[in-house]
Amino acid sequence: MKFREQGMKAVFLICAASSVVFVFLICLFLFINGIPPMLELGVVNFLTGTNWRPTSTPPSFGLLPMIITSFITTAGALVLGVPVGICTAVFMARVCPKPLYRALKPAIDLLAGIPSVVYGFFGLVIIVPMIRDIFGGRGFSVLAAIVLLSIMILPTVISISEAALRAVPETYYEGALALGSSHIRSAFFVVLPAAKSGILASVVLGMGRALGETMAVVMLAGNQPRIPGSLLEGARSLTANIVLEMAYATDIHRDALVATAIVLFVMILTINLTFSFFIRRGGR
Amino acid sequence: MFAISVIAALALTGCAGGGAASAPAPAAPADNPAPAAAYLPGAVHVITREEGSGTRGAFVELFELVVDGQDMTYIGASISNSAGAIMTNVANDLNAIGYISLGSLNDTVTPISIGRVSGTAENIRNGSYIVSRPFNIATQGDVDALTRDFISFIMSAQGQAIAEDRGYVMVDDSAPEYESSGMSGTVTVGGSTSVAPLMERLKEAYEELNPDVFIEIQIMGSTAGMTGAIDGTLDIGMASRPLSASEQEVLDHMEIAHDGIIVIVNNENPLNDISFDTVREIFMGEVVVWAQLANQ
Amino acid sequence: MALVNILRFFKGRKPMDIALTALVWICAAVTFIALLSIIGHILYMGVGHLSPELFELVYTSDNLSMLPAIITTIQITGLALLIAGPLGIFTGIYLVEYASRGSKFVGLIRIMAETLAGIPSIVYGLFGMLFFVIFLGFGFSIIAGVLTLSIMILPLIMRTTEEALKSVPDSYREGSYGLGAGKLRTVFRIALPSAAPGILAGIILATGRIVGETAALLFTAGSVPRIPENLSDSARTLAVHMYALSSEGLHTSQAYATAVVLLVTVIFLNAVSRLIAKRFTKG
Repeated sequence: MKFREQGMKAVFLICAASSVVFVFLICLFLFINGIPPMLELGVVNFLTGTNWRPTSTPPSFGLLPMIITSFITTAGALVLGVPVGICTAVFMARVCPKPLYRALKPAIDLLAGIPSVVYGFFGLVIIVPMIRDIFGGRGFSVLAAIVLLSIMILPTVISISEAALRAVPETYYEGALALGSSHIRSAFFVVLPAAKSGILASVVLGMGRALGETMAVVMLAGNQPRIPGSLLEGARSLTANIVLEMAYATDIHRDALVATAIVLFVMILTINLTFSFFIRRGGR
Repeated sequence: MFAISVIAALALTGCAGGGAASAPAPAAPADNPAPAAAYLPGAVHVITREEGSGTRGAFVELFELVVDGQDMTYIGASISNSAGAIMTNVANDLNAIGYISLGSLNDTVTPISIGRVSGTAENIRNGSYIVSRPFNIATQGDVDALTRDFISFIMSAQGQAIAEDRGYVMVDDSAPEYESSGMSGTVTVGGSTSVAPLMERLKEAYEELNPDVFIEIQIMGSTAGMTGAIDGTLDIGMASRPLSASEQEVLDHMEIAHDGIIVIVNNENPLNDISFDTVREIFMGEVVVWAQLANQ
Repeated sequence: MALVNILRFFKGRKPMDIALTALVWICAAVTFIALLSIIGHILYMGVGHLSPELFELVYTSDNLSMLPAIITTIQITGLALLIAGPLGIFTGIYLVEYASRGSKFVGLIRIMAETLAGIPSIVYGLFGMLFFVIFLGFGFSIIAGVLTLSIMILPLIMRTTEEALKSVPDSYREGSYGLGAGKLRTVFRIALPSAAPGILAGIILATGRIVGETAALLFTAGSVPRIPENLSDSARTLAVHMYALSSEGLHTSQAYATAVVLLVTVIFLNAVSRLIAKRFTKG
């Protein structure tokens, strides 16, 4: 009996340790393949070069346009998506009539479950022509990617923010009402601030999704490897850079793509660590 | 908060639009008719394939877009990673121009002739349409009997007829008939996305004759196909472009068909012919508005 | 009825209240319209192209059947859950039931899990290709795809298990100990069953993620349209099938039909998860 208890405990421990091993393995493999070429090309050249011509002789590998594009699309998606998402979450948690809620809630779950290829199709046929008609230009643009990404992060922002809003003790809301505040004002100025750590978490997750999205962005953004001069110009994100050329790449070109993945990986890691640092500090 | 962000976003795009407004003014009013040879009023929207794609490789080679080893394709050209995306784009955008494989062409887009020669199988065969490329297959070293048998089927009268039937051009019009050898096993074929639809037909016809054989087709892109053939993960690699010198050193290759590369525009675009040099200038970004074509 | 409500609402309200209320209604409407237009678009473009020949057993370039892809999707999902399920659940059990709360090791695992959860699927694809396909020599195969996806969904299952176990009141466990049950028995007979709906919800979320995945599978499981016979075969799932159909521009309408099936699958999975959650919260 004792033996079985101890044995199972060991099994649980091994499983727990495995996740550490996996992250370690992924890091190891990416870094082994990506760091040497990065050093060879010069880290500074690689990160700040503006020319990406992998098949020319001699090739040039400058990642700056992709880093900037990933940054702009993610920031843009947050600017458009987060306010809508948070307001919708307030609506769901505090305003929505019950019958409507029963229809909306599954709808938002569905939005979360739609595969990104399907989003990409939709963007290609609807959003791109729409942008072309309204703003002119090619349609394949940073803006098209931003609009689609802002829709794609909505379900993440809404469900997590809504859960955070619902977790705020009812007494907060009632207290505000008792002090003479109206229903909607209590929701916005009392309940919403009280749920801020959960809402921040939803924004961070949304950011991760926008930064890491691949298949949908590659269909919409135009993919030119240059720094976009305006939101209506096309540009290439870090993820698009990998998926476009991965199938073809050999030798140094493939290593440069792995190095692209490392940059992406480090960006996401930084976001996560910063966030958990703030959460821990907020907790104290 | 939301209202502010929307206004900010609109302001941003507004400024951006203003910055990009160096493009010519919109269509002339009706009482001021355009000159006889009608050109679209807008900017040319160039679309190309991604680097490494066989279609792009052949296109930049044929139109002499590679200068001193540098691919000079217009940096502002949109990049799509599939013929499907290019066709959807051209079908929806009045000002778009792109290129695809002859085998992918359908009526959602309009093919334009180059120097008054249209890209048909007939013109490719008689050599008057020069924008064509080989479909290559490549193998490495000693090839096993089954792979050899499948290749002999591809090069047989039946195999070549399938290529012709799919809109490609056969390379051998007096090929021998293929007879089933009754073999069994698996052949792994991989590479070009452009060759894959043809290879799929060939596979089906071959498997009908040899029910115990399974042909596995991996759609990966030309360069990946050659790499796979070199490192041994593929029995046969497919490429929709000529092989590079370094690939030819280690691989044996043969042409299985010819495919035209067709320059396509929107169905509403009045353009129906273009010169070889103009195509080159458009894809180098020297022609930026359609009206410039009037001076060519 | 609605109109009366609206009129009653405006009576004696301050402008700011009206503005805020309008704001949340508009935002909800924007969300809902975005969803409706996506679903409407896919159904409109795809339903008309659904035909019996799209569901034939063998894929040919004439029938473009998606049945092999559907079967592959089920196989890959099942196998990935079989690997990541126990691993993730056991890790969750360790974190909640065994590890001392607030220990360094628990913190480390949590950070690792969060990192795993944040990695974009394309990076998983790249890793899967470098490690399983090339380094371990699996080639493009179901097994390479399954292992890559298992790592990808592991943090999801782990976190949901952890949350679900945490929400089981300690009094349950104390009751079990009080009756003389051992730790293991308490975990499996008391804590785990009470946490089952949360864990199931996590597994269904993971299933959804696998069904919709393209980038990570394209470079690990490959794209052969057939029913795989063993683990080293290459095959394509529905999402990859849709991507492949659309890529040469030859079969766009069939790609939309595939999208309809994908959409229906997601709706079905969501409905099942809600049903489970409801049953457990009632019982």
